Amino acid sequence: MTRMRMFGSRLLGFFRKRRNDENLDAEMRWHLHLLAEENIRRGMPPQEARYAARREFGGVEQAKEAYRERRGLPFLDTLWQDLRFATRIMAKKPGFTAIAITTLAVGIGANTAIFSVVHSVLLLALPYPDSDRLTVVWSTFSSEGRGPASGPELIYLRERSRLFEEFGGIWAQSGAITGEGEPEHVRLGLVTSNFLSMLATKPQVGRFFLPEEQGTYAAKSVILSDPLWRQRFGANRQLIGQSIRLNGHPVTVVGVLPPDFKIIFPEGSSVPPDMDAFIPFPSNLAKDPSDQCYIRVIGRLRKGVTIPQAQAELESIGAQLRSEFPVFAEQALGLQVVPLHGDVVRNVRPALLTLFGGVSLVLLIACANVANLLLSRANERQKEITLRAAVGAARGRVIRQLLTESVLLSCLGGAAALLLGSWAMKPLLSLRPAGIASLVATAFSLPVFGFTLGLSIAAGILFGLAPALGTTSLNLVECLKEGGRATRPGRQRPRKLLIAGEVALGFVLLVGAGLLMQTFVSLLRVNPGFNSQHVMTVRLSVSGVKYQTHESAILFFRELQKKLAASNGIESVGVISHLPFDDTLPNWYSYYWAEGAPKTEQNTVMADYRSILPGYFQSLGAQWVAGRDFDAIDVQEDRPIVIVDDTLAARTWPGGSAIGKGLNIEDGNFRQDATRVTMEVVGVVKHIQSHSLTDQVRGQIYMLYPRAARAHMALTVRSNMDAQSLVGLIRRKVASLDKDMPVYGILPMDDYLEKARRPARFTSSLAVVMAAIAVLLACTGIYGVASYSVLQRTSEIGVRMALGARPGEIFAMIIRQSLLPVLTGVFAGLILSLALTPLLSGLLFGVRPVDPVTIGTAGVLLFGVGMLACYLPARRATRLDPIAALRYE
Amino acid sequence: MKAARGEVLQGTLDLIVLKTLDALGPLHGYGIAQRIQQVSEDLLKLNQGTLYPALLRLEQRGWISSRWGVSDNNRKAKYYSLTRSGRKQLASEAESWERMAGIIARLLGAEGA
Repeated sequence: MTRMRMFGSRLLGFFRKRRNDENLDAEMRWHLHLLAEENIRRGMPPQEARYAARREFGGVEQAKEAYRERRGLPFLDTLWQDLRFATRIMAKKPGFTAIAITTLAVGIGANTAIFSVVHSVLLLALPYPDSDRLTVVWSTFSSEGRGPASGPELIYLRERSRLFEEFGGIWAQSGAITGEGEPEHVRLGLVTSNFLSMLATKPQVGRFFLPEEQGTYAAKSVILSDPLWRQRFGANRQLIGQSIRLNGHPVTVVGVLPPDFKIIFPEGSSVPPDMDAFIPFPSNLAKDPSDQCYIRVIGRLRKGVTIPQAQAELESIGAQLRSEFPVFAEQALGLQVVPLHGDVVRNVRPALLTLFGGVSLVLLIACANVANLLLSRANERQKEITLRAAVGAARGRVIRQLLTESVLLSCLGGAAALLLGSWAMKPLLSLRPAGIASLVATAFSLPVFGFTLGLSIAAGILFGLAPALGTTSLNLVECLKEGGRATRPGRQRPRKLLIAGEVALGFVLLVGAGLLMQTFVSLLRVNPGFNSQHVMTVRLSVSGVKYQTHESAILFFRELQKKLAASNGIESVGVISHLPFDDTLPNWYSYYWAEGAPKTEQNTVMADYRSILPGYFQSLGAQWVAGRDFDAIDVQEDRPIVIVDDTLAARTWPGGSAIGKGLNIEDGNFRQDATRVTMEVVGVVKHIQSHSLTDQVRGQIYMLYPRAARAHMALTVRSNMDAQSLVGLIRRKVASLDKDMPVYGILPMDDYLEKARRPARFTSSLAVVMAAIAVLLACTGIYGVASYSVLQRTSEIGVRMALGARPGEIFAMIIRQSLLPVLTGVFAGLILSLALTPLLSGLLFGVRPVDPVTIGTAGVLLFGVGMLACYLPARRATRLDPIAALRYE
Repeated sequence: MKAARGEVLQGTLDLIVLKTLDALGPLHGYGIAQRIQQVSEDLLKLNQGTLYPALLRLEQRGWISSRWGVSDNNRKAKYYSLTRSGRKQLASEAESWERMAGIIARLLGAEGA
């Protein structure tokens, strides 16, 4: 309490300085006056009375100073004083100040921008209630990685688990809203009744699903997303309780989700963030076939339960599952629990941390540059500082003032950095990988400001400390004797060390950027197994009442293909269930084995299953390896045949031909009576990359549409038309066949590929920008030191020239001495990069972490830049007029 | 004379000022100084200027308060007076001072005996 009051009074004193000074002055003057009067009364002459009064009072100024020290906040007073002085000093040298602030703004701004991404992606909690307790539960299989769960699995988990509060599940599908207005495709989530309440506190309007609404076969209730509710239904609150048509069936709208609701699921889980509508699972999950794995499961841990505890429990539940269900034992089913947030950022964390490390190197280089600037300034300011020391300023006080100057400088740099950072945010955001798109904040937040401020102060102390210590450790007598014309070579040492450090860090950044660049280039060169150029894709939903029979859908596609193929400018048209690199639909993959394979080889290897119609491979420009493509007769006669990719063929029939062989596969129409069928391989096509450009994730099996009918299909159209008229044409042709058919997901095939390359593009382009900044900073640093050393040695050079040194010798001398720290730096950077680049290996493709070519290029580049930077100062040295140089002092 | 004038002990000035204000009521700086000289019969050596930082300290602690008033001869003057917490502080400081003085006296007495 007392302390608070004291601080309050001091704070008041700090701001009311002038008034308080006047008051104190009046008080003391009156005191002296009274003392003098008293003395006069005692009979002293007035003059002497006043002197006596002064003696009795003691030192007026000392008393005032003691009073002032108690009154205000001396720390702030000094700070204020130092800041004013610093501002004056900076204003006096606008060039120096501008260069320093710009350098710092670039260094700090890069950090601010990257940190704002790191903060929003890695540090901020997901926007869900108790999000730290939300987990993803994956099923793992012997041969495959992790995958979704089956209905019985989810129910079993719910019954057995004690450490989880609840489990929820989702399956992303697509559907169409028809009825009034244009038919509209919707991304439809089939969910357990508790799923939405696990991710949101309450709906915007209406309610969440009730447990009894799940498993009622014909979906009766639907919950809409905010965008769909606004765009299609005009945010009508009366919609709750009303019926709309979904896939041709009437369903009742029971609720609308909050405006900011997003489903944030890990990449590869095939659950897109922007779902339009949700319905409860129509089937009774407990009675689902236990080998149909399609449910993406999330679980909420009980309070205080750790992931390892939960994992231990799931392992025992997994063991129970295997002993109770033979099919799970066969697949060696396991269960894995991971934190939802950790899983979502799993793929981007290494890249982000790498970039964060990279920008901190950039900041270090910027600091080294400014430290160098300050060092040269410090030499100029020696006189001033020596004078201060001579009249009694304590070393600590001078250091404090110099540090105040540098921190002020870097805080101004930080302020400029925020401007620069907010300007750099836009291109940065446009590059972000899709996996974190929903997480990245689009504006700076308070923690980002805090980070920038803290970084600015830290940077100010970092680059200010060495010059401050160096300047104040002067020998006074020595300095005064020299009279400020210091030409001691020893003083160059810290500056050369800084240059070497800068070059070393720049080298590391260059090598890192070079490796990431090559990764991106390798990705561009990857042959994905198809030619994405000139291919337009659109998505169509053949679902609902009109397409209850496969025949109607086949008829629709056949007519559409025929109409489009007949149009001018269209080369070929294909139809497929899953486009390559489209992860908005749940992937369809399952086990397969060669006909007659022993029991031990069954249920061990999985492949991606795709449903196509003839023309798909032609439209994508896929490469044939063997056999033939599907044709119209195959469709007409509904032949049990498949086409496989070359990796599957080579793995299943090594050394032999796949053509004519029987393949045991999952029944494409999920008939309950026959879940597996055997079909004949008629063709082998080159693997079409569909999940990753770098890995051939699984083999591929292509079935004919009638044998694997899907509601969601995509059209692949190869043409030489421009996109706009092509899309118009497709829309017209579709509408002419079915006016209720929504056409959506219009995207050139190139875009899908671009999306796949985006993470690499993101890291490599940022790394290149960083390396460029680093090289630029190093270049200016080298130039600065070289030209300053020429300036300092003007008279020495003059003497040398007067004694007959030729310009060429002077030139060589300057170059030699300026390049020495550069060479040292390149060497140190080489060692440093050998230690650091292996950390990048997870981000690299098509290039090894230790790549002699990259290292060599970086070295040559930096050396060349160093040469360039010293060239001008060295040439200036050769053009000195000896007479003028000698008089320079 | 010179030898007999003692320096004001560190920390005792507070007690003296508080006691003075307690005895005489609101006073200005000059009045306090005069009173101290008077009571100590000029034996206490006080640089009167040091009174002001001390007064500020006491005020910051909340033991005294100050206000501007008009003096006997119609001049603006700052008057200091004891606050309630100042009175409490005075009581406790006086007590501890007396205890200390008692201890010292006993100590010296014992040595003398």
